[in-house]
Amino acid sequence: MWGCCDHVPGLTLHLISPRWFPFSFAFAPGFWLFLPFRSPLPLFVLLLGAVGFGFFIAVRASDVHASSSPIMGFIGNALYYSFHPMQLRAIIQWKVWHNPPHERNEKNETENQKLCFKFLDLTSRSFSAVIKELHPELLMPVCIFYLVLRGLDTVEDDTSIPLVTKEPILRDFKNYLTQEGWNFTGNRPEEKDRELLVQFNHVVTEFMNLKPEYQTIIKDITDRMGNGMADYAVKAESDDASVKTKEEYDLYCYYVAGLVGEGLTRLFVEAEFGNPALMKRPRLHKSMGLFLQKTNIIRDIREDFDDNRRFWPQEIWSKHVDNFEDLFKPEHLDAALNCSSEMVLDALEHAEECLFYLAGLREQSVFNFCAIPQSMAIATMELCFRNPDIFKKNIKITKGDACHLMHKSTQNLSVLCDSFREYTRKIHKKNTPKDPNFLKISIVCGQIEKFIETIFPTQTAEAAQRKVTGELTAAEAKRKEEDDQNKNDIWFMMGLMGVIVVIVAGLMIFAAWMMGARFDLAFKELTQGNFRPPKSIAHGEL
Amino acid sequence: MASISKNLLISGGTGFVGSAIVRAFAEKYPACAITVIDQNPPSAEHALPKGVLYLQVDITSVEGLKKAFAAVHPEIVVHTAGLIPGLAERFRRRLESEVWQVNVEGTRNMLNESKQTGVEVFIYTSSCCVVTDDTINPYPNIDEEWPCSLRSTIYGESKTVAEALVLKASSSDMATCALRPSVLCGPGDCQLLPAIHACIANHETSFLIGDGLNLWDITHVDNVADAHVLAIENLLSTRTAAGEAFFIQNNEPITFRDLCLAIWAQFGHFPPFQVRIPKTMAYIVGFACETVTWAMGTTATLSRGSVRDACAIRYASGKKAKEILGYEARIGIEEAIRLSCEVSHRAHTIPSLKLVLKAPGLRFSSLSCSTSNHRCHRESRVPVNFCGDSDRVSTANYGDFQPCE
Repeated sequence: MWGCCDHVPGLTLHLISPRWFPFSFAFAPGFWLFLPFRSPLPLFVLLLGAVGFGFFIAVRASDVHASSSPIMGFIGNALYYSFHPMQLRAIIQWKVWHNPPHERNEKNETENQKLCFKFLDLTSRSFSAVIKELHPELLMPVCIFYLVLRGLDTVEDDTSIPLVTKEPILRDFKNYLTQEGWNFTGNRPEEKDRELLVQFNHVVTEFMNLKPEYQTIIKDITDRMGNGMADYAVKAESDDASVKTKEEYDLYCYYVAGLVGEGLTRLFVEAEFGNPALMKRPRLHKSMGLFLQKTNIIRDIREDFDDNRRFWPQEIWSKHVDNFEDLFKPEHLDAALNCSSEMVLDALEHAEECLFYLAGLREQSVFNFCAIPQSMAIATMELCFRNPDIFKKNIKITKGDACHLMHKSTQNLSVLCDSFREYTRKIHKKNTPKDPNFLKISIVCGQIEKFIETIFPTQTAEAAQRKVTGELTAAEAKRKEEDDQNKNDIWFMMGLMGVIVVIVAGLMIFAAWMMGARFDLAFKELTQGNFRPPKSIAHGEL
Repeated sequence: MASISKNLLISGGTGFVGSAIVRAFAEKYPACAITVIDQNPPSAEHALPKGVLYLQVDITSVEGLKKAFAAVHPEIVVHTAGLIPGLAERFRRRLESEVWQVNVEGTRNMLNESKQTGVEVFIYTSSCCVVTDDTINPYPNIDEEWPCSLRSTIYGESKTVAEALVLKASSSDMATCALRPSVLCGPGDCQLLPAIHACIANHETSFLIGDGLNLWDITHVDNVADAHVLAIENLLSTRTAAGEAFFIQNNEPITFRDLCLAIWAQFGHFPPFQVRIPKTMAYIVGFACETVTWAMGTTATLSRGSVRDACAIRYASGKKAKEILGYEARIGIEEAIRLSCEVSHRAHTIPSLKLVLKAPGLRFSSLSCSTSNHRCHRESRVPVNFCGDSDRVSTANYGDFQPCE
């Protein structure tokens, strides 16, 4: 009824899917007999190899214990994963079993396209992998959309560019997209993504190759976002740039993330991978963006503070501390935690709409693309919730958790909802009545659970009816019949064993009798109460 | 719907829910004449607006009802009167005949009288217990399609039968509907809040039975009153609600544990630590308590039933009430809890409550309430009056825990 996408794995995935994987071990001992050597040594070698492979993947893929020397890093990781086998398992599982719904075909790509993907890898840590698994129809449009926004962001972020230069660039950015050969070299050298703007002409070329429908969408969003950023920059120059009210906070998040959500949704609907109804409910895609952005703002509080940026709205923090700086002082920790939980509450209010939005996606790769960041966001939210560390350093979910989440976000909505429920419950568990927003957080958690229950009910009214009346469904009746059958089999087996025992006992008694055993004497002794044989035999006559 | 000038008769109108309905209705339709019938006269605790007529009537007596109906000639009848057994009796069957007499026969009498005197609208205050008291199922996000149970508790069964009578009686002459409120709270609540508050004095707040994830959706009494007014309006106009039952709740499910924690926090109490008791273990302990108290001839507060209640998942979707009645909770749960607790503070009931709970022998009683639904004996807040001078023992309200209404 929700028209969500179903995961349709290929045949190969069926055969070696993780579900069947454990069973293959059941055949291993038998399989072993067919091998020319019968010592257990090769098995050990194989096992060692598997463990080594696991570590190799984990070490390559992780930065849990970043260390100066690679050897120390390896040892650190090895130690870490020895004590966190579940984390390692999640990483291996993801690396081994993740089957991308689509893979980009590098052979058919032009040099220019390859360059764009190179920039994608350079500029984005988390998005590049999911973008590259998108359906071919959307692969290039989303990649270019991302790079355009990243370019815009790089201009905005650079504090070395004076406003007089910056403002017109931001406002005109949409026009540069159609100016063949446009690039920008005005960034300071230490700006992370400077190179992208220096070679922006490649992005422009690819933009011009997109379908006109996609070009319109990307241009429109670039226009609005560029102007939004310019307004913000002007305001920052003239007066205090810090976010005051919750409305301003929402508006800021809308410009930097909500608009992206809108653009992507329009791309999905244009490509017929999303339910057109998604466009009629703008709240939904707005929530998608805001949920992600607010999570980042909560997580990056320390980093932003060190860079002299404040995104937490005054309306919220002023309820808990007098000065923004107090959030970072140990003596105000309780107030700071209450403040952070109010921020989490504000963000969690979008979670329900995010799930609603995801229900409207029709294509697996698009679903994955949207679902992975959302599940990461709720896990990050859980990590940040009532965690004093957010005021001290930059915290991240572990690589293992991330892999586990990615695995669960690339199946279907039901599995994703399970993760959401899991993390909602974890947040709920950390909630404390001493927090002034205790009840509000509890309500929003309840709301998320109720919503999940609405899309995926654990029990229907009909099932409850049957339970009350004692009726059985066809499947239940069949199972009951099978159970009865099994019970009969067990009784039969026990009876058979009883018969065998009787026969064997009878045979033994018969054999003993044949050999001259005196059962009559033994029985007489027993009736007299002598259960032990006499200790010594008297040989009086000899 | 701006001006209704009809006669309204409400049974159980001096009780917790009844008086709230009277206040809500009188405020919205001042031109209506309201008559309250109840066994108990109006009290300061459940104040009635000026100009409301009170008649002392027992709904189990047909003669009494005939007289009242003849005197009032109501066009609208709201039937809230009912008998709720206290926690100690909730899962037992000792009071079956009394509960049945008031809840089923009383409702039958009300219906018969209403039909004979040409009543147009009949609203019945049912309870979510008609569905949720059968502990065979968990009840997450249920709707009105879920089955009512005839094998639950004496209260649930009696309400099920009474509700069926009411809904069946709906006709073109007299439209009926039933509202099923969930657990109630609000100023003057003598069941939910005091029972949860009592845990502080008993040092029980650190113990969590079950996983603490089970959601409940409680209702503020004024929201239930709003729902009644909406139901009356509907049956007087479009009648889309005729013959229908509706779950009424705040539509803000929270876990039962959080509800308790929030109430304790209002009184400045925070559990110093938390020990989780698995449900099965609590269930066994409950059974042991039951056995001991059965052998001793007393009644227990901890029982298998109360463990099941504390671990139950009970919340409805609330969609039908919103769509047909246009009901939405006016008072949010946060405010509802705050208001309930504030009144308790103001009335200085809490210190006396502790005294009462510590006094031996007063915690357990046979009958929690008078015949009005959702109400407690108003003297019950003055400890001096507890000492058995009233014919109905009402102390159990405090020690007791009422999961429904």
